[in-house]
Amino acid sequence: MDRRSFLLRLLATIPAVKRLAGTLPTQATPPLFEDVTARSGIRFKHAASRTSQKYLPESMGAGVAMFDYDNDGWLDLFFVNGARIPDPMPRGASPDKSDPRFWNRLYRNNHDGTFRDVTEAAGLEGRLYGMGVATGDYDNDGNVDLLVTNLGGNILYHNNGDGTFTDVTAKAGVGGSGWCTGACFVDYDRDGRLDLIVTRYLEWDFSSNVFCGEHKPGYRAYCHPDQFNAISYLVFHNNGDGTFTDVSKKCGLAGSPGKALGVAIHDFDADGWPDVFVANDSVAEQLFHNNHDGTFSEVALLAGLAYDQNGRAFAGMGADFGDYQNNGWPAVFVNALANQQYKLFRNDKGKFEDVTDAIGLGALTISHSGWGAKWIDFDNDGWLDLFVAQGHVMDNIELTEPRLHYREPALLLKNEQNGFRNVSAQGGPALMVPMAARGAAFGDLDNDGFVDVAINSNDSSALILRNSGKSGNHWLTLQLIGSASNRDAIGSKIRLIADRALQQTAFVSTAGSYISASDKRAHFGLGSSNKVQLIEITWPSGIMQRLESVAADQILTVREPSG
Amino acid sequence: MREVVVSVLFALASAWPAFPEPCSGAQPQLARISADLTLGNVSAAEARLQPIAASHPDCPEVLLARARIEEAKGNVEAAANLYVQYTDLKPQDSRGFAYFGRLFLDQHDYARADALSAAAMEKNADDPAALGLRGQLLAMKGQRQEGQRLLEKACGLDPNDPEAQYQLGVIFDRDKNPTMAVEHFRRATALTPNDARGWDYLALNLEPLGELDAAEQAYRKGLSVNQHGSLFDGFLDYNYGRFLAKRNQLVAAKQHLDRATEMAPQVRAVWYERAKLNLRLKNYQQARADAEKAASTLDSAHVILDLQIYALLGQVYARLGDTERARKYAELTRQTPPPVRGEQR
Amino acid sequence: MRLVVAVTLALALAVSSFPIQAAEPSHIQFENRQKRSGVWFVLDNGTLPDKPMIDGIPGGVALLDYDDDGYLDIFFTNGARLPELVKDGPNFYNRLYHNNHDGTFTDVTDPAGVRGEGYSIGAAAADYDNDGRTDIYVTGFNRNILYHNNGDGTFTDVTAKAGVAGLSPTGQKLWGVSAAWVDYDNDGKLDLFVSNYLDWSFATSRVCGAPGKRLSCSPTFYKGEPNILYHNNGDGTFTDVSEVMGISAHIGKGMGVAIADYNGDGWMDVFVANDNDRNFLFKNRAGHGFDEVGVEAFVAYTENGVPVSSMGVDFRDWMNDGWPSLFVTALGGETFPLFRSEGNGFFSADTYAAGIGFRSFKMSGWGAGIQDFDNDGYKDLFSANSHVSENADVDPQQHYRQANAVFRNLRQGTFRDVTDEAGAGIEIRAAHRGCAFGDLNNDGKIDVVVSAIGSPAELLYNTSPDNNHWILIQTVGVESNRDGIGTRIKLTGASGFVQYNHVTTAGSYASSSDPRVHFGLGTDTTIKEIELKWPSGTVQVLRNVKADQILKIIEEPKP
Repeated sequence: MDRRSFLLRLLATIPAVKRLAGTLPTQATPPLFEDVTARSGIRFKHAASRTSQKYLPESMGAGVAMFDYDNDGWLDLFFVNGARIPDPMPRGASPDKSDPRFWNRLYRNNHDGTFRDVTEAAGLEGRLYGMGVATGDYDNDGNVDLLVTNLGGNILYHNNGDGTFTDVTAKAGVGGSGWCTGACFVDYDRDGRLDLIVTRYLEWDFSSNVFCGEHKPGYRAYCHPDQFNAISYLVFHNNGDGTFTDVSKKCGLAGSPGKALGVAIHDFDADGWPDVFVANDSVAEQLFHNNHDGTFSEVALLAGLAYDQNGRAFAGMGADFGDYQNNGWPAVFVNALANQQYKLFRNDKGKFEDVTDAIGLGALTISHSGWGAKWIDFDNDGWLDLFVAQGHVMDNIELTEPRLHYREPALLLKNEQNGFRNVSAQGGPALMVPMAARGAAFGDLDNDGFVDVAINSNDSSALILRNSGKSGNHWLTLQLIGSASNRDAIGSKIRLIADRALQQTAFVSTAGSYISASDKRAHFGLGSSNKVQLIEITWPSGIMQRLESVAADQILTVREPSG
Repeated sequence: MREVVVSVLFALASAWPAFPEPCSGAQPQLARISADLTLGNVSAAEARLQPIAASHPDCPEVLLARARIEEAKGNVEAAANLYVQYTDLKPQDSRGFAYFGRLFLDQHDYARADALSAAAMEKNADDPAALGLRGQLLAMKGQRQEGQRLLEKACGLDPNDPEAQYQLGVIFDRDKNPTMAVEHFRRATALTPNDARGWDYLALNLEPLGELDAAEQAYRKGLSVNQHGSLFDGFLDYNYGRFLAKRNQLVAAKQHLDRATEMAPQVRAVWYERAKLNLRLKNYQQARADAEKAASTLDSAHVILDLQIYALLGQVYARLGDTERARKYAELTRQTPPPVRGEQR
Repeated sequence: MRLVVAVTLALALAVSSFPIQAAEPSHIQFENRQKRSGVWFVLDNGTLPDKPMIDGIPGGVALLDYDDDGYLDIFFTNGARLPELVKDGPNFYNRLYHNNHDGTFTDVTDPAGVRGEGYSIGAAAADYDNDGRTDIYVTGFNRNILYHNNGDGTFTDVTAKAGVAGLSPTGQKLWGVSAAWVDYDNDGKLDLFVSNYLDWSFATSRVCGAPGKRLSCSPTFYKGEPNILYHNNGDGTFTDVSEVMGISAHIGKGMGVAIADYNGDGWMDVFVANDNDRNFLFKNRAGHGFDEVGVEAFVAYTENGVPVSSMGVDFRDWMNDGWPSLFVTALGGETFPLFRSEGNGFFSADTYAAGIGFRSFKMSGWGAGIQDFDNDGYKDLFSANSHVSENADVDPQQHYRQANAVFRNLRQGTFRDVTDEAGAGIEIRAAHRGCAFGDLNNDGKIDVVVSAIGSPAELLYNTSPDNNHWILIQTVGVESNRDGIGTRIKLTGASGFVQYNHVTTAGSYASSSDPRVHFGLGTDTTIKEIELKWPSGTVQVLRNVKADQILKIIEEPKP
């Protein structure tokens, strides 16, 4: 039985797949999302190890990943965790992760809405003070591997395919150093092997910590990033033999340091090569254009993406590319801190324009602080909406700015084609839970065709939000398997025409959001169309594949045709 | 109450064939005879039938076997009489109708063959003999898909029926599916090695697959068994001659095309092919004679189009230096529209 | 500024005057170096579910040295968004790649200004205004474009001024496929021949095959279109002389175009491969007009007297007897027509006689070339293969994605399909279309660039391991057109081995090849004699020329 029919058979057993089309009136107000954390059995609680020293990393973690580590067709969950920080940290010492409450955690999907903690069996407890995560099958062996970024470097786990992982950091040569944050796997030179880009936040270590805030009890604050120097990023080229070469300098990224948090990839100028967007905190955003020869040029200023419409830098955190206008050009969404507004840069044939105010996004977001964020079509109407996991970075923000809140509920903005509408209220109780959200991952956890969300909250419990699929719209999820291209098909471009009026595009990537990794499967909402006329896939190898007359409401596995 | 049940049972029992069963104990032998006949081993079948006919004089199946033996020996009328007797005795046995229908088909009595094949299918739609005949007839009537389906079913139920294999091969040949055609012609010729038609078709379908040596062998096998009879192939020399010409064995090709013109002088294609070969051999006068013969031979099946004849004559006369005729045929070639090809490609 | 190289080699040529035939035919090898070349061109036919027939017809490749740095650059034509027929995104742009001399190329499309417009099909490159810089003509469905090379890395669209938009006399845009630069009247200025396909539009488009598995409709459903001949006025403008020269009276379904002087009268003739219609051989009447003699010369139809889906064509001498012969590609089940010139005005349909019948029966070919890939002095054959219909595989005998093919010349007028031994580069199964031939790295071996629908173009470097010698001749016309197109070259090696070729960029399918003339020399390290018959009528002879060089020959003044 091939994988697809296997998946389909599994799907057929879930009642949720059976279509409810047209049976639900739109004014019905059952919540769009349910908090299924308790039911799922996921008891993950991020442990930041907060100290009176207000060490900056305490406030920034951590990421979460959705990926199918055991190839059973169901997304599993991986949460990154902190480590014990002595208060204060003695000179030369480092955070200690040995206590299980600081372990990173892997939860295996039991296919029935519940998950089982398999961290120890998998060997993913971790070391170092964890920050973010990236997923990708770097050795094209069919098993998705895992990269964890940390304060002090990266850990690369090779997925052995038997439920266990091996720490291959040293052999692979991707350890790096410094405060690593957002990372992504991407085959930037299109040689069929996933390379690795790791961004870093600041030149910071425990000894360089300074006092910020007011000198009165409770008012010491986490420092503004201006207090610390920018730092360059790490690029590792995949040699194809399990090792990587540090090409940070050669590929041109090392020359453009920043204060990076989020990273997203897409071919923003449609030249066939993946480009990299880096969301920076309080300095200019960065857009690394792929020069097709293994190097990048930083072009954010020229492309209109470095600063907001007022020419100001902002606290870029989570970021994502998305073709929200369905015109084939991916826009960039970046969220920011309260009083700054989240930013939407529309893409006009490779040139960006900040349209935040023009489309009314500013008013909707000015009092919020966003972290994990992604373009998702939560209601499967064929138009990408925005989901933002929120929470202010300062745990004591209420002391200085009573209007703002440290913990905030998530924000759900529905794309109404001429603008966005805040529909968080319809999200139900699940979207009213105030959180100190950080990383968020997006994907269809229960294979019902509707995108679910997992959120890692700083120093508090994780939240699993199940999309209840109330719209009844049709959908299609594509799982691409590369052969000449990297096996994950990361960097593939998909154009889909449901009917003549609805053309959508997508880019296969697990990056985006905030230091997290999402479902690699490409998901499309199809509205009322129960069939897709045309799917056009441009694989990273350059091979173009077209599928016609594809039935909706399935998870379709597409293999790259041999060249 | 109890009595009623018994009487019902009795009534049912009385509807069964009278005891003792007249064929009892002969079934295995009869099956073997049937298989012999399907494979064309008439004398073996006859030898086996003799003792059975003696020991089971009332067994209807003996009649069926005798009918098929008579048919195979060419005694059509005797065979027909026996089929009639058998179908009277066993009106529910599809095989009687199927074999009888096959007899009509071989006599080119298509209407009766059609009716009998349909009747046979009504009796038993899982009888390979009925399926094979019906499938062949449907294919002949243009219902190729349904014909193919029935023949495939027939071949599945009885892979040892060479005629069904052959007919299914013909369908794949028409569908330009040489891979599948080769499979069935291989099977047909393995079952009936003296089937010249099967070897010819096998070779023709090996050619597009590029299996030239195998094709060569198949042609030769076919030629070695090409005897007059139901398995005779009048175009074997024609096809082999063309094949040899493609392989640049022009002298050998000529021999076979010479024989083809003797065997099928009424067919335009054989003259056309020999004319082309003579042109290659630079026998221009011979080429001219053959080409003119082709031109004057009617070709109702449109195997060789007028356009092809004109183009050939134009060449022949140009080679002969007859510029006036060459010009005339060049002009005709220009004026004749090319054939309209299938609607898609 | 007279002729450049006449290398003196007084050495006693008693050096084993070993006949070249003694050398074993070499092993032909190709390696696809696309990935490291930086050329990531993917031909996008913009197809729609109903498979409109236009989606099978692009696209071409041109190999030209646009910046005159001695290295061939690459130009690709590309499709457009359907049904709008506009290039509304980078995936549809035509592309120009500059050769960096190190195996890599740089995309210079935008600085050069050659993105193009409309649904492009073919390309033809040559210096039409004799300014020493190679210009490009692009054919297409709804737009033909003439780009004048400004000499500074940029091109200017001069179509309107030049009057070469590819329109019929009534102003209807004809469907251009291939084009050939040829000085048909030997007046020293390159004229332009454009083949046109058929009268199709979305309004008249038919749909064939089953829903979801649509096939390309047979061209017999549509009316053919006349070809166009533009005469070069020498002032940057052209005059449509199709009618007066006897071209437009012949309506076909033109695809590939190739030129050669097939009857040795000093005037270039033109062959047009017609799809499912009889092919045309336009015999040049001393520059005063053309007679279409395809039927009379026996090249209109195959040896069976029927037309096939003729697509690509090349027109060169593979027998080394001085008579250019024709190699034509067609669809699966038809075989590739091979018309060998007998030198008496007749051609012999040699497909089976030459040994390519059974093999090409299974192939569907577009780009076509008669080129000496192993430098043994005998020209081989290359075809770029793919079925026309994306869903062709519904017929188990047909395949949309096919490997290319190379047939080695066995020297007795026969060929052998050596594709399986020619390396992985040639075995890539793809929807290949046009291809161009030329020496990309100036190593004396003919390379091939192949465009493919939906997958990266292939840069097939010739890595044949032979140690044979070679020469590339770049002609510079003075009285003749500057490219020297139409110059016929006879080369006699030190061993006395004689071969022939001529200067042209036309041939293959919708493509344009290296203008330099290539000869493989086998074991000959010197060339006894090179005789050039220029279009001007000048006959120029060079003696004792060293092998293994790129030789620039400037036309001598008339005595």
